Amino acid sequence: MTRTLSKFLALLFTFAMIAAACGSDSSPDDATTDTTEDGGGGDDDGGSDVTTGDVDDDDTVVEADDETERSYGGSIAVGLEAEAVGLRPWEDACSSPCYNIFVTIYDKLMEQTIDGTYEGWLAEDITPSDDFTIWTMNLRPGVTFHNGVELTAQTIADMFPIQQEGSQSSSQIAASNLAGVEATGDLEVTYTLSQPNSAFPAFLSRVQLGAVFEPAAAAADLDGFSNEPVGTGPFVIESRDLDNETVVVRNGNYWGVDPQGNQLPFLDQISFRPIPDEGTRLDALLSGTVEAMQTLRQGTIRDARAAVEDGEDLTLLEFQGNNVGGGQFNVLVPPFDDVRVRRGLTQMNSQENVIDALGGTGISLPGTQWYSPDSVWYSQKVADAWPQFDFEAGSATLQEYIDDPERSDGKAPGEPIDVELSCPPDPTLIAAMQVIEQTWSATGNVNVNLTNYDQQTHINYALGAENGFVGEHGAHCWRWSDDNDPSVGINPFLAPPTPEIAEAAGIPDIVSPLNFSNWFNAEAFGAAVAATQTDNFEERYALYEQIQLAIAEEVPIWYSGHTATMIGTVSNMQGLNGWHLPNGTVGIGFTNAEGRWAEVWLN
Amino acid sequence: MAKIIAARLLRLLATLFAVTFISFMMTKALPGDPAVAILGQDGIQNEELLLELRAELGLDEPIPVQYVTWLGNAVRGDLGESYINRGQSVAGTIGQRFPVTLQLALMAIIIALLLAIPIGVIGAYRQGKWQDQASSAGVQVALSVPNFVTGIFLIWLFAVKLEWLPASNWNRISDKGVIANLKTAILPATALALTQMAIFSRLVRSDMIATLQENFILSARAKGLSDRFILFRHALRPSSLSVATLVGINFGALLGGTVIIETLFAIPGLGFRLINAISQRDILVIQGITVFIATGYVIINTVVDLFYSVLDPRIRRS
Repeated sequence: MTRTLSKFLALLFTFAMIAAACGSDSSPDDATTDTTEDGGGGDDDGGSDVTTGDVDDDDTVVEADDETERSYGGSIAVGLEAEAVGLRPWEDACSSPCYNIFVTIYDKLMEQTIDGTYEGWLAEDITPSDDFTIWTMNLRPGVTFHNGVELTAQTIADMFPIQQEGSQSSSQIAASNLAGVEATGDLEVTYTLSQPNSAFPAFLSRVQLGAVFEPAAAAADLDGFSNEPVGTGPFVIESRDLDNETVVVRNGNYWGVDPQGNQLPFLDQISFRPIPDEGTRLDALLSGTVEAMQTLRQGTIRDARAAVEDGEDLTLLEFQGNNVGGGQFNVLVPPFDDVRVRRGLTQMNSQENVIDALGGTGISLPGTQWYSPDSVWYSQKVADAWPQFDFEAGSATLQEYIDDPERSDGKAPGEPIDVELSCPPDPTLIAAMQVIEQTWSATGNVNVNLTNYDQQTHINYALGAENGFVGEHGAHCWRWSDDNDPSVGINPFLAPPTPEIAEAAGIPDIVSPLNFSNWFNAEAFGAAVAATQTDNFEERYALYEQIQLAIAEEVPIWYSGHTATMIGTVSNMQGLNGWHLPNGTVGIGFTNAEGRWAEVWLN
Repeated sequence: MAKIIAARLLRLLATLFAVTFISFMMTKALPGDPAVAILGQDGIQNEELLLELRAELGLDEPIPVQYVTWLGNAVRGDLGESYINRGQSVAGTIGQRFPVTLQLALMAIIIALLLAIPIGVIGAYRQGKWQDQASSAGVQVALSVPNFVTGIFLIWLFAVKLEWLPASNWNRISDKGVIANLKTAILPATALALTQMAIFSRLVRSDMIATLQENFILSARAKGLSDRFILFRHALRPSSLSVATLVGINFGALLGGTVIIETLFAIPGLGFRLINAISQRDILVIQGITVFIATGYVIINTVVDLFYSVLDPRIRRS
């Protein structure tokens, strides 16, 4: 007894010592995918990287393996960073984690290709009128929903009233200028827009407007559809245990085949599991608890790379898209209403040090615009114009404001400015904030007050619904852009933030609560509108370049780095990289750690 | 005795009223708008929709009116519906999540007792010797290490390195059977148990030291009974009263104290739902779970109090 106890105590003591020394490298984290900065991301060559054992592999490879023979069967578990609150495309707020589930259950009308263009998925083709106000779409024949109902043009028309009432779809209807949907043939759908929109197909590639659901089943039980969705996708919902597991199983009647003619999907079952803690999610992959996991955090990518270096047999699918982290100034609040303050603070901010604090060194590429260097929308002219780190120059610019007797914050000349810098309470973000604080404070001209509020509060402060959507924020961590067509994200950012500004600009009907920095530049907004009235790429490129140059000039926001995302998988899982559209074109890849699971097979 | 029960019940009601009022006010004081959380970034572009949704949820009513409405429904058993997962009742959510948290708490207490009793007994029996000192040091460490750190270590050791157990999530008994369930429960329960074990073992040790000085123990020794028999058959029972009380109290606390461990291990219990509800500003779910946990805690404490009165006539008389 005594000897047994001694052994036990020794073991306990050893365990406790190791536990104490081990510390936490995976602190509890935000459960939600946010719009706020969690650091930059990316890697030195941008785009997508596939790492399989060799972390120095710099090949950019979003391309399918078309040679290996596929095999059917098997099931996988996928660790997501948060739970999908619901599975209704028109109603439930959804971000990266839940998109992984959505694309198994629903097909979208359009999809984005690897070169950023949009082509049909459930749609065979779509054609605009000359002025981009009428879009005529032909649906793919022979598609049925999971409940056996056939997909017709009338289905799309019947979805529209539900979408008009949906909290997610209604805003997309407004943003896309969509006014009506009509079945003009068995499989022909006509969309009528209230204003021209050359980027309308981009909206049909988004879940909110583009995911096709069975309208009769939805109308029969609008709430119940959240847990029992009916789509045409490659998998059918099997069970949904909220916060634990959502299981989808193979749709035996799926219409899709891969470019080799293999019937899709290959897997029998996928279990999606929300695992909010970043460290646990990676451990779940390393331990075989799940076969795949997603992350939008640089620190997790770093740890996954380290695990591969240590010999773990994983495949890391990294993607550096157009999402860029940083922060925004509330330009309606002094002293941020003065461009000298914004430019000075931005120039005094070392992107390199911030990225390092975020754990993104070697992963993140400093941002200068909304688009990453591998994007077709990237502009070297904008990169050159962006106010790069130059402490002395920034300090001098700020000093001009400090010494100005007419300074907007009402303080006496020579007094330091007050800056509230706020981020969600993520450990890496806090470290990055401290780096910025030290730099800004070093001049003696900036009193920095660091605040942390949870994700929802952070967004609410920036939204400012309580004070006419001006917001209560000063300098606020945030992130922008995605891999959609630029118009999808940039128009709300550029539109007038308040009715007063809209009135003054002569466009009283256009107000955007999503203009979180409250920066309004009539020319930039005009360019954004003009870009939706042409489908000529060169013209559109020039207009978006003009917008980015205006941002670089007036600096309503600052950047840290582009957000790298990753899906890590066990090495015998194939087919996630380089999925295909029905016409055989390679799809855009795994943006924002959103996988397309229909072509995945276990080797 | 009836008087005592009546007094305790009155106190229970007053406490519950205070708990509901304070927690309601605290959730209302949280910055953030549930309507914004529901609509998300795409939805909030439509201000009219935002205002409509607030009205639909009753968020445009004065806060005291909201509280009275909620309380009136709550006493009839209606805790409302989730703002985020529309159509899902808060009571239903609690009913689905509580068994998971209950199992975790029960397992944690059992593991803690299985470890604490031998450690405490041996510490008392070998008081001052190396066994006692080693166990005291181990217990001190167990007390000092936060349970989430323990959890991370357990995942690393048993899931990543040894690959014996899954790192996360939960297998429901109804879906996957008892063994699969225990595989997902053992690590989080152990992480929760170690702190409890440390507390219990200290208490067993100190009570046992006092018991071992009693005449009946000396008498047992004089009869030539073995040490093990004396320790576990004669000394342990009278030394267990304090621990039994503490088990009750800590069990109540554990029901509300699993938040971090449930989040770390992604276990769909009350704590995990509570954290998600807070981040989503799902006010009625926050309120419902908070009140449920508080009620459970207060009831368990009341039962422990009454139990004490039964056992100790001096308390009853006072």
